[in-house]
Amino acid sequence: MSLLTRNVCRTLMQGSYLVHANKGVHTTSVNADKNQSSSTEGRIKCTLIPGDGVGPELVYSVQEVFQAADIPVDFESFFFSEVNPTLSAPLEDVVNSIARNKCCIKGILATPDFSHTGELQTLNMKLRNALDLYANVVHVKSLPNVKSRHRDVDCIIIREQTEGEYSALEHESVPGVVECLKIITAAKSERIAKFAFDYAVKMGRKKVTAVHKANIMKLGDGLFLRSCEEMAKLYPRLQFEKMIVDNASMQMVSNPNQFDVMVTPNLYGNIVDNLASGLVGGAGVVAGASYSAECAVFEQGARHIFSGAVGKNIANPTAMLLCSANLLAHVNLHPYSRMIKNAINKVLTDGKVRTKDLGGQSTTKDFTNAIIHCLTASPN
Amino acid sequence: MAVRLLSKLSARPELRGVVNFSSAAAPATLSDFDVQHKTPVVRKQHLVPKAHYGGRHAVTMLPGGGIGPECMGYVRDIFKYIGAPIDFEIVDIDPNVDNDEDVKYAITTIKRNGVCLKGNIETKSEAAYVTSRNVALRNELDMYAYVMHCKSFPGITTRHKDIDIHIVRQNTEGEYAMLEHESVHGVIESMKVVTASNSERVARFAFEFAKKNNRKKVTTIHKANIMKLSDGLFLETSRRIAKEYPDIEHNDMIIDNCCMQLVSKPHQFDVMLMTNLYGSIVSNLVCGLMGGAGLHSGRNYGDHYAVFEPGTRNTGTAIAGKNIANPIAMINASVDMLEHLGHHFHANLIRAAVHKTINEDHIMTPDLGGTASSTDVIKAIIDNIDLYMKNKVSFH
Repeated sequence: MSLLTRNVCRTLMQGSYLVHANKGVHTTSVNADKNQSSSTEGRIKCTLIPGDGVGPELVYSVQEVFQAADIPVDFESFFFSEVNPTLSAPLEDVVNSIARNKCCIKGILATPDFSHTGELQTLNMKLRNALDLYANVVHVKSLPNVKSRHRDVDCIIIREQTEGEYSALEHESVPGVVECLKIITAAKSERIAKFAFDYAVKMGRKKVTAVHKANIMKLGDGLFLRSCEEMAKLYPRLQFEKMIVDNASMQMVSNPNQFDVMVTPNLYGNIVDNLASGLVGGAGVVAGASYSAECAVFEQGARHIFSGAVGKNIANPTAMLLCSANLLAHVNLHPYSRMIKNAINKVLTDGKVRTKDLGGQSTTKDFTNAIIHCLTASPN
Repeated sequence: MAVRLLSKLSARPELRGVVNFSSAAAPATLSDFDVQHKTPVVRKQHLVPKAHYGGRHAVTMLPGGGIGPECMGYVRDIFKYIGAPIDFEIVDIDPNVDNDEDVKYAITTIKRNGVCLKGNIETKSEAAYVTSRNVALRNELDMYAYVMHCKSFPGITTRHKDIDIHIVRQNTEGEYAMLEHESVHGVIESMKVVTASNSERVARFAFEFAKKNNRKKVTTIHKANIMKLSDGLFLETSRRIAKEYPDIEHNDMIIDNCCMQLVSKPHQFDVMLMTNLYGSIVSNLVCGLMGGAGLHSGRNYGDHYAVFEPGTRNTGTAIAGKNIANPIAMINASVDMLEHLGHHFHANLIRAAVHKTINEDHIMTPDLGGTASSTDVIKAIIDNIDLYMKNKVSFH
């Protein structure tokens, strides 16, 4: 009974989110009395969550590079972890910090596949829901000198990450029968579709592909697909197409160059993100970001904690450095962003310093030092 | 449990299907159903989510013709310098093409971004079937209210000092209904359309605006002694709405008298409310009183969209490309936009820098009696911004 009560309340909350989301639509005098400035006198404040596994090592690499380049960003660091609840900072503190700073750089949080407390929501999901980080963007791009089957892959995968299969609504109605609810709402589907199209416009992209499984889940995925189709009408200069998720996976590994911007519901997005990341060199080289209306959290595109490498100094910091470069671009520090990106490109193109995942023998530290060495180029 | 659910329901008003309308603009008493079925003149809009991600706003930029593109360039320079969290989506409209493809696309982009910064768009074609693009834009987006804040710059020598007037203008109907025909050969009728619903919306807008900005008086400008029915309706409506705002003084004035009063005793006005054509005349007149076309900015509001532009809608084709155009109007429009989006820090920073450049440093373009070029003015503004940032002047 208590379980049922909780779930009913949860569904209700989901419903209220739905209506709540209406508040995000256009009305004049939007924020007329809200004060939004965060970047005031020159220096930017940014929340930092090192995460689990190799996260702290990668974050340290980012900090070293920032220090070497003298980048005007101050970090506000929080230890935040689900597998180590005693040391973890409280969720509220982290959420408040991100809401205040409006940007965050985050390592990966480990998620155990069982729950001690009976709670179904993971810490990652709680953080996302608390901040309403609904859109996850992963930019999958071939890097120079990284061996892979396909060349010049360059696609952006946009994923809804607050509903769908991740609603954490599961229950055992009769012993031996477990139901897992997948929630799709029109408001959130429209919102993510609009995000995808707006992102495509901002990045100067040509095509948006909606990934779905509406042939089987005619109502749920059907709603998602219809929302995308509706939104596409507002973007007459962008091409819109749709693809079923199984076909999309096949196309992704056989002919990834056909994709430009992809928009997906939650679980499909997670799978396609990882699949595409694998195509261009793995979790160590793909950067991602999560957006809400107000804040942006920069994290790796494929979320693996790589616990086997902890303390061995072999993890690849490329993804994290790319994340930091994207963060700098987001807060209008474009010259620094370009500086870091150029340095990464140069180190990879030279190919002398490569971590183990890219077939080299260098350590994380070597790679970081190589990047710092290349930073001397003028910031133009 | 049921009780708990019910209490939850009643605690959240938005769950009961009442659609929120922006309080400043729409009549608060109309429900969603009423708006759909009982207000034939109000254009129905399908609402889409705002383009607001990670604290950054996407904004449509329509450079338009004449001095528009250069002024937009200056705005972008300043925004880039201070790091304003705005992503511009630039849409160019070809003035020489007769079809409306570009304009339609521009309107679509405003619908999805919600906010636009615009120069004046030229309509070169004089063919009867090609409507003025500026008018088309305003009508299609149902931007029924136009607001211009006319405040004297102390550094500019003018006959009258310390003028501070808000002009609120009905923006979508009246003489601009674009209904003209030749009923008999040699006789042309032009229709001026005034509707109760649109008059009510703009009147309510004006009073809400006055209330929000702590203004004392609203003056309705009309010509109801001649056009007893049309202007009469407008006047009647504003009188009716005025009764709902007992704290704000309301009076009315006939347009010809109003023009005379404006040039002789402009300080008697506070917020002025008027129909479309009178608004066009009065706003230009007031701009002329305080330094010309290059200073003030105008804001177009609908229920869902907002468009910001230089106050007097002139393209300035004659001075385009000569580096003498006054960029202040466009910069003020961009400041309005930042304020509308809630970026008060950036808005105040630019406003203070502009203020200092004009009033203290006296760096002005020839139209204000100065000798500086447009780029000199921009450089001075950026230097002042730099000064404020270095000295950490607080603008909150």
